Amino acid sequence: VLLLAYVGYVGLGAGVLQALERPAEVQAAQHLLQQHWELLANHTCLQGPALQRLIEGIIQAYKSGITLQGNTTSLGRWDFSGSFFFSISAITTIGYGNLSPSTVAGRIFCILFALFGIPLNLVLLNEIGQLMLLGVQHCARCLEEVFHWQKKASLLIKTCALVTGLLLFLLLPPLLFSDKEGWSYEEGFYYSFITLSTIGFGDYVIGMNPDHTYPGWYKNVISLWILFGMAWLALVIKFCINFLE
Amino acid sequence: QISWTLLLILGYLFYLLLGAMVLQLLEKQAETHFWDQFQLEKLKFLQNYTYLDRQALEQFVQVLMEAWEKGVNPEGNSTNLSNWDFSNSFFFAGTVVTTIVYGNLFPSTVAGQIFCVFYTLIGVPLNLAFLNQLGKGLNAHLIILERRVQKPAHAQVQLAILLTTGTLLFLVFPPFVFSYIESWSYGESLYFTFITLSTIGFGDYVVSTNPNKPYISVYRSLTTIWIGFGLAWLALVFNVGADLMEKFLQLKWHKPVLSLAGEATIKLEDEPEQPRIHIPS
Repeated sequence: VLLLAYVGYVGLGAGVLQALERPAEVQAAQHLLQQHWELLANHTCLQGPALQRLIEGIIQAYKSGITLQGNTTSLGRWDFSGSFFFSISAITTIGYGNLSPSTVAGRIFCILFALFGIPLNLVLLNEIGQLMLLGVQHCARCLEEVFHWQKKASLLIKTCALVTGLLLFLLLPPLLFSDKEGWSYEEGFYYSFITLSTIGFGDYVIGMNPDHTYPGWYKNVISLWILFGMAWLALVIKFCINFLE
Repeated sequence: QISWTLLLILGYLFYLLLGAMVLQLLEKQAETHFWDQFQLEKLKFLQNYTYLDRQALEQFVQVLMEAWEKGVNPEGNSTNLSNWDFSNSFFFAGTVVTTIVYGNLFPSTVAGQIFCVFYTLIGVPLNLAFLNQLGKGLNAHLIILERRVQKPAHAQVQLAILLTTGTLLFLVFPPFVFSYIESWSYGESLYFTFITLSTIGFGDYVVSTNPNKPYISVYRSLTTIWIGFGLAWLALVFNVGADLMEKFLQLKWHKPVLSLAGEATIKLEDEPEQPRIHIPS
């Protein structure tokens, strides 16, 4: 039955996404085609194949993670802070993909790195989650002793913890993002959620805008946020699954 | 308990630093090379067509990027192939629910993004429950096998055989198929296989996205099925690994075993993220 529900759910998602995204895609494709032909029409000795080759070159470069607009380089993707952030995205399995190894050696290393790093990550998340749970239960017990509440204390504390976690990991960070990245609040929230669930589309990634200057602590704080936020979210999901069962 | 966690955090941090250093070493040069190459290409192009002003070219690049981000592949010629037809949307939904998400394709409409958030809220736990069930089933079989065996040494051999079969079936064999269909090298296909099954999903390689290749319609469905089973198996392997790591570290550092007060409502025997399979030792 679970299998059927699973397959059905994926099918449902497919249908909805198709309905939502197809029109925008058609529009983008038409726009591209129009631009393509306009370029060829305005410059009549520009040949189709040459343009095609250039397009391929651009796509290739883009896939390698290079920002292509303007002359300014957005190099320093593989500088230390970029590599560090990449390592995180690998072992947390977020995998943004805006930056990925292009050398063979880099890829082999990445595979081995993830092979050991992912279990390490799971163990750490488990530990943090357990600590969080301990803290919550400790508070519940304290409350019970002080105020002589019974079952209510436990529920209250859990709700408080949930709300605190929600604020700390999902509702407040987008404010930071809109300040540092120039995203809207919704975009920041979307990014927070997609990151903490380890989905990691890569359409929004922090610290990638070449026009912004980021303070030194920024990426480190974000890394901490990812770690604790993921532990908290995993705990919440676990509670939900246990509750359902 | 606190000091153990601190040690773990330090170890984790150190591991990340190690990864960052090595990758930087390996990748920086290639990146510079790519950049130079691309600038050269642009320059050559502009040289050949001298009346084409830089601004027009930059604008064209911009349009290309936007199209690419919307999932339109400018390399192909036909506009009949869609990224959001049902079959592709199904594949995409699958990658969302398993959190693989390649990122070569993502919702560009606001409605699509909002839908994705809610879809994930239900879909990821559903996926975890599904994998958990599969994991439990596999674990049950393991225990049955364990009981049938007299000597513990045999059990270990059986485990080794099981792991090898799984590795061959899900990790070693599929890349051959992919490299044939996608014209990738075996190494590239293996890289893709691993990045997919670990749910990292960078998206630098994605199956069935080449506009010049004729794919049969069941190709994507078969890939999805492979991902499903491969994920369950890999989750088993990762959990065995995490289990062994914990037992090893417990032994070495006498990490205090966490004991919860009697009225703890949730029993923490399960891994928060993935099914925890205990190998009877």
